[in-house]
Amino acid sequence: MKKTFGALALLFLLGVLLVVASPSTGIKFGLGGDEWMKYRYTDQYYIDHGVEEVGGTNIVTDIVFDYRGYDTLGEATVLFTAIAGAVALLRPWRRDEDEE
Amino acid sequence: MGLIVKTTARATIPLIGIFGAYVVSHGHLTPGGGFQGGATIAGAGILFLIAFGFGEMKKRYDHHLYSALEGLGGLVFLGIAMLGMGVAFFYNTLWHSGPFFNGQPGTLLSAGYLPVMNLAVGLKVFAGLVSAMVAIAAYGRWRE
Repeated sequence: MKKTFGALALLFLLGVLLVVASPSTGIKFGLGGDEWMKYRYTDQYYIDHGVEEVGGTNIVTDIVFDYRGYDTLGEATVLFTAIAGAVALLRPWRRDEDEE
Repeated sequence: MGLIVKTTARATIPLIGIFGAYVVSHGHLTPGGGFQGGATIAGAGILFLIAFGFGEMKKRYDHHLYSALEGLGGLVFLGIAMLGMGVAFFYNTLWHSGPFFNGQPGTLLSAGYLPVMNLAVGLKVFAGLVSAMVAIAAYGRWRE
């Protein structure tokens, strides 16, 4: 009984989230009043203006290196940090040498 | 590894490298880009490491060279992004009013800083992934 109730509650929450997050019926936030959809869903803008504004015919590269350049910068930083962390964790520690 | 693996690796490593270089250099035209191509070339390096063993890799892997290459990739990325500083960070000034890399869209020498950035990111990812694999192989704690 408790399990059924829990599952039903989860389903209800999921349904509420689906309605709230849906573009046609959900809450509207961000810029723009009536034109909120234009500012929130920018994919068509990238497809229409990417070649003329950035120049690459590969729209994904246009987005990654121009429109979302800071994201790529952070991604490169994450890669560097991961390698630095791997080397710092894997290298022989002083305690290991004492034990041997 | 055995003879079959070594021979296969000898045959396929150059092809993998060429394919990765193609993915990097055509990153602004066809699917792919710096990250994916760099990972492909790093896959060639990892295949070398697995097929020929760590002893052979240690002879050919120079730690200072690879850390310099990774730093160079990151600095070129940032420096190219700084070029358009008159308008904004990451502004593609080479494409709008640059002396080069502003050809017809769809040709190799077009798209402003995108090819240079692809090369820089590819270099960075290749050097980083190969360094990570060599570090994992060098400091392995599972032997004995």
